[in-house]
Amino acid sequence: MIAFTDIVGMDLAKKALMLLAIDPALGGVVIPSAVGSGKSTLARAFAGILSEGTPFVELPLNVTEDRLIGGVDLEATLASGVRVVQHGVLSKADGGVLYVDSLSLLDSSAISHIMDAMSRGEVLVEREGLSEVHPADFMLVGTYDPTDGEVRMGLLDRIGIIVPFTAQNDYRARKEVVNIVTGRRDPEDVLDELRMMTGFLDAAREMLPKVAITPEQVQALIQTAITLGVEGNRVDIFTVRAALASAALNQRTDVDDEDMKLAIKLVLIPRATRMPEREESEDDMPPPEEEAPPPDEESQEEDDSQQPDSPDSDAEEEQEETPDMIEELMMEAIETELPDNILNISLASKKKSTSGSRGEALNNKRGRFVRAQPGEMRSGKVALIPTLISAAPWQESRKRDQKMAGRQKTALLISKDDVKIKRFRDKSGTLFIFMVDASGSMALNRMRQAKGAVASLLQNAYVHRDQVALISFRGKQAQVLLPPSQSVDRAKRELDVLPTGGGTPLASALYLGWETAKQARTKGVTQVMFVLITDGRGNIGLQSGFDPNAEKPSKEELEKEIEALSLSIQADGVAAIVIDTQMNYLSRGEAPKLAQKLGGRYLYLPNAKAEQIVDAALNF
Amino acid sequence: MTQSESSARKPAAKKPVARKTTAAKAAGTKTVSTKTAAATPAKKKSGLAFPFTAIVGQEEMKLSLILNIIDPRVGGVLVMGHRGTGKSTTVRALAEVLPMIERVKDDIYNRTTEQYLEGEADRKGAAKIDPATLKLEQIPVPVVDLPLGATEDRVCGTIDIEQALTSGVKAFEPGLLAQANRGFLYIDEVNLLDDHLVDVLLDVAASGKNVVEREGISIRHPARFVLVGSGNPEEGELRPQLLDRFGLHARIITINDVAKRVDIVKRRRDFDEDPEAFMKKYNNEQVKLQKKIQKAKTLLPSVTMTDEVLTDIAKLCMNLGIDGHRGELTITRTAHAHAAFLGQKEVTMKHVKDVAGLCLRHRLRKDPLETLDAGEKIERELAKLLGEAEAV
Repeated sequence: MIAFTDIVGMDLAKKALMLLAIDPALGGVVIPSAVGSGKSTLARAFAGILSEGTPFVELPLNVTEDRLIGGVDLEATLASGVRVVQHGVLSKADGGVLYVDSLSLLDSSAISHIMDAMSRGEVLVEREGLSEVHPADFMLVGTYDPTDGEVRMGLLDRIGIIVPFTAQNDYRARKEVVNIVTGRRDPEDVLDELRMMTGFLDAAREMLPKVAITPEQVQALIQTAITLGVEGNRVDIFTVRAALASAALNQRTDVDDEDMKLAIKLVLIPRATRMPEREESEDDMPPPEEEAPPPDEESQEEDDSQQPDSPDSDAEEEQEETPDMIEELMMEAIETELPDNILNISLASKKKSTSGSRGEALNNKRGRFVRAQPGEMRSGKVALIPTLISAAPWQESRKRDQKMAGRQKTALLISKDDVKIKRFRDKSGTLFIFMVDASGSMALNRMRQAKGAVASLLQNAYVHRDQVALISFRGKQAQVLLPPSQSVDRAKRELDVLPTGGGTPLASALYLGWETAKQARTKGVTQVMFVLITDGRGNIGLQSGFDPNAEKPSKEELEKEIEALSLSIQADGVAAIVIDTQMNYLSRGEAPKLAQKLGGRYLYLPNAKAEQIVDAALNF
Repeated sequence: MTQSESSARKPAAKKPVARKTTAAKAAGTKTVSTKTAAATPAKKKSGLAFPFTAIVGQEEMKLSLILNIIDPRVGGVLVMGHRGTGKSTTVRALAEVLPMIERVKDDIYNRTTEQYLEGEADRKGAAKIDPATLKLEQIPVPVVDLPLGATEDRVCGTIDIEQALTSGVKAFEPGLLAQANRGFLYIDEVNLLDDHLVDVLLDVAASGKNVVEREGISIRHPARFVLVGSGNPEEGELRPQLLDRFGLHARIITINDVAKRVDIVKRRRDFDEDPEAFMKKYNNEQVKLQKKIQKAKTLLPSVTMTDEVLTDIAKLCMNLGIDGHRGELTITRTAHAHAAFLGQKEVTMKHVKDVAGLCLRHRLRKDPLETLDAGEKIERELAKLLGEAEAV
């Protein structure tokens, strides 16, 4: 196993974990990172720097509810005649770490239970005749690959630190470094280093209660949260705690600018819903992304933390902070984090994942077994163990009845009421992906229709367990405005402000829709339908989304791109409707052609009402 | 409630309550007393809850909860809103300001004498009980937490597994619905509750009774409770039938006032640092609120409302196009409770105005293209109505 101190790079993630080790009340650390960046290695290595005996429990993705929460241990119960309780995974992590790899793939009911346990610090077990409270005060460490989808916001809200996503990691080089370093080093040295690290963290933990933060600093952090549009008030506490822990890590008793910056970077920026304007000119396209910029600044920070005693830097900054300075500080924290351009990350990393066939294995799963519930034997798959558990207590009395009735003796008496059937999560339901052409003059009109259709579909979503996503395309590339969701409120909010006009990156929209569909498949959605509201006239190539300087493709090239994408989409069994809202005399027949390529249906609905679009989608 | 009663409760809450542990179970501790103790909410609590009166802002939610204590017939409250805004903290803080109720001693269903006699008389071959022999006791209004992972048998009650395994006796072990009788039933993330549990809840909420029939076990017990749910609307919608069950719908949003937020952080840190000292600091306010609620409860039966106000309420609901009469009924009850809370004996349109949004917000027909928020719509209609009243 690779030691925490041996891992090269990922400095910010390392620092985040160290802060968590100092103050477990931070709740946890989430590390989004690309495949092979070593994030899970790092997370597992985290166990090595915790004080001895701290539990480190890894949560398997396919965990069932009873394993998670706990329940009756059937074997032991039957053997002893006394109810024996088995603690769940959540409770086993009490006082330590619960680690989830691929956090974004975790089933939504499992996430709800984790959230609940985190907000209580314990698990309520109200199952199978059991009523118990098990302690479950744990730190959650989660890693995931953002190409697999996002983690539910409700869960992130209970986790203090979210490490900013680093898209480009030259992981091969990193692996190499790890190999070289570990291969050459004396295991004694490694141990010594680890021991130093744990000693260092112990010292910081001792320091923590002595660290002070000024009311002005607290105010500045809160102001920053408001400026960044962070939802909720829980995050304030986390930001303050992170700043305090950072000071403790550096063996200081006062919070300084660096601590504030780090807290903003790790707690607030990843949750920002808006970014303050930058003073520089707005270059709307970032420089073409190549290798990751050498993390000079971060490795310096790392150095700082290795040499905690730097009293001189403390002494010279005694002056009071003015609000201006705070703003500057905030901007600085944001600036240093943004160069990789947050908006481009998702696409940049997705480029990689298309070639592989990740996630495919999960596709043919029909939902995930979540829990057993009472039901008819024929109405589903029988959950054997829960059935036996519920039958067990009745055995004595039934045997007595059996004897009295003079019936033949049987080993096991199971009645209809005992039968539990398996319940799978989200087995049915359709994901409707709306792709709306937001380019050109009709954009506003189309957008309004789409919004109405989305909202109206969602009104009924509860009944059908349907989900709706919305992608808009204009300018250089398409954008997911609303990730797959069942919430009317969220849809309304996300769709409120929409820029329109510009080119028509149709290919980019199809690509993004396809990716969204694939992600949804890994989460148990079986049916996906594209609802394209467009005139079908794409004029921007896929490449432009990644590279602003890309040459403009010819008409033929564009068509080929669309054709290739359509074929793959069709092959994945995605249904499609193309709704053309263009006035007839303007149409040049591109939309019907697009429908044909996608193997879908074409509908001409000028001035379509939202209800008509919904009808079309539902009655496909 | 008296001072001594409230202070008598404090120590019980202060001690982290001994949990039923696996070890204790394995050792075979299964006396009757542990089972009845499970009926009180304190059993569920370990550690201290953040005091209700120390919660900053979120007045709408706090008022909704208080009005439900004053008159449980208000019908519960659904609290929906942003993450991390203290929804569950507030509901869990509720237990500390609740009044006491009287129940038959050790009754697992928290029944009053009448309910007890009625229930026992229904049982086959039961001997007639002399009411004079019944002992009574005071317990705090129970607050029962229904976690999402609860199974149906624990909610409704089922056979006592241990007794069945050891002696083959079919004894009924009551579930959460029994514990919640005459109290509060709280469901966090209620919009994520499993369908079959929602069915059970709807059933029981409609009838006020929980019925369990199974192989020689036939139990029917009262299960009337104030349903309190909370959740984030972004995680999903609530089933319409369940939504309709909630009397009030409080909305909660992120506080964006810096001073208030600084205060929240400060109080939270103080609490985390030394919970006992923090509780002490707020003890006076807690007791004060408790008394105020108790006073309102006493006042409530004598609160009156004129026909004019009632007509206006009916007009409001009509103008808003609300189906059925639950809207009017809820506003009327809630306005009464609100007047009582303010120590006033007559319901005026001011009381109605204060609670109209809470009572009606979730009863408006949903129009997907509607840009106006439900609250604004209600306010607009109210203003129209009040303007009319003034003009006359």
